[in-house]
Amino acid sequence: MSNLSIPGSQSTPTIEAGWDSGVLSMHGDSYPENSFELFGKVIRWVEQFLSATTLPFRLELHLLYLNTSSIKALMDILDLLEDAHHAGREVSVNWYYDQGNERVAQVAEEFKEDFSFAFSIIGKAR
Amino acid sequence: MKSDDQDFEQHIKRLLADPSYRDHPLYIALACLWQQHREQLTRLERITSLSDAYQALARTRELSLSERFDKQVRQLEKVVRISDRYQEMMRDLNLALKEASTHDPLTGLANRRLLLDRLKEETERYTRNGHTFVLAMLDVDYFKQVNDKHGHDVGDKVLQAIARTMQAELREYDVCGRWGGEEFLFLLPETSLPAALAVIARVHQGIRELAVRNGDAAITVTCSIGVAEHRADESFADTLNRADAALLDAKRDGRDRMHSE
Repeated sequence: MSNLSIPGSQSTPTIEAGWDSGVLSMHGDSYPENSFELFGKVIRWVEQFLSATTLPFRLELHLLYLNTSSIKALMDILDLLEDAHHAGREVSVNWYYDQGNERVAQVAEEFKEDFSFAFSIIGKAR
Repeated sequence: MKSDDQDFEQHIKRLLADPSYRDHPLYIALACLWQQHREQLTRLERITSLSDAYQALARTRELSLSERFDKQVRQLEKVVRISDRYQEMMRDLNLALKEASTHDPLTGLANRRLLLDRLKEETERYTRNGHTFVLAMLDVDYFKQVNDKHGHDVGDKVLQAIARTMQAELREYDVCGRWGGEEFLFLLPETSLPAALAVIARVHQGIRELAVRNGDAAITVTCSIGVAEHRADESFADTLNRADAALLDAKRDGRDRMHSE
């Protein structure tokens, strides 16, 4: 299967997914004009990866601002991970934030709520 | 099936099986009726089982739909909550950006951009209802010497102290901002020149009485002020220029004084 590489823009995050590494990363702000088109690809990739392989999966997030449809898309991905986790799959999320911006950590905490897989919120020094 | 029904069925079956009734005129009628009864019973059982299966299917479907619905509702609530958080963040950021774009970070006073906005507003107010306003340009005397002698940190402290004094002495509706370096601008709305001069004299005196401590030394400063009242058929830039000219006069006359045009 193929890797996923979507270059970022001012309103969309840089998205990279490696089939061999099992890592999906997203960097930047996300308020795309068409979130469903952008994240549809990502969600399909995650679904395929989870069903076609048995490798551990890790989501690496360096996200700042998300508009509502991006929040929904990310939640859909996290729901997929929760289902996979219940099915015995090894999945994890690392959410990185700038220590000068504590409020991003608070939002990450809100995302983390209700999920039972490994979800780390990691502060980085500026 | 009830035992009465079973007894009855057995009875009919026995009658039909008994060869001695074969030639009885009612035998064929009973045999037909029995056959019809059996077929109807089979049909009824089939309908019942179909209907049961359908109901079970509908029930499962309803359960899975309601499960999915509950999940969607939970997700929606979470999305809404997080979205509200982001909006709060953006709102606070907007406020901070607005504050940063309109205020001087060192003194917290209005910056040049905000002063220009207020100047435009006051000029428009004057055009509408003829309420005049007064501008005063203040420059700290020999401020470079404070910086040279005590360092920029102390110079900054002096500017902050001057800013506090100005805010304390001016009236609530007066606007005061940092025009640049050690130059400050006051805008006194709906005020005549004599009334404005009295307020500005208070600021002048307040700054004269300031003593900013630096170790054992107490730093004192004076300032020069040029004042101009806005006139009919004049742009605020013209008024500013006249206040600037008056400030220059005050400097030439030996500083630590105010001049008005």
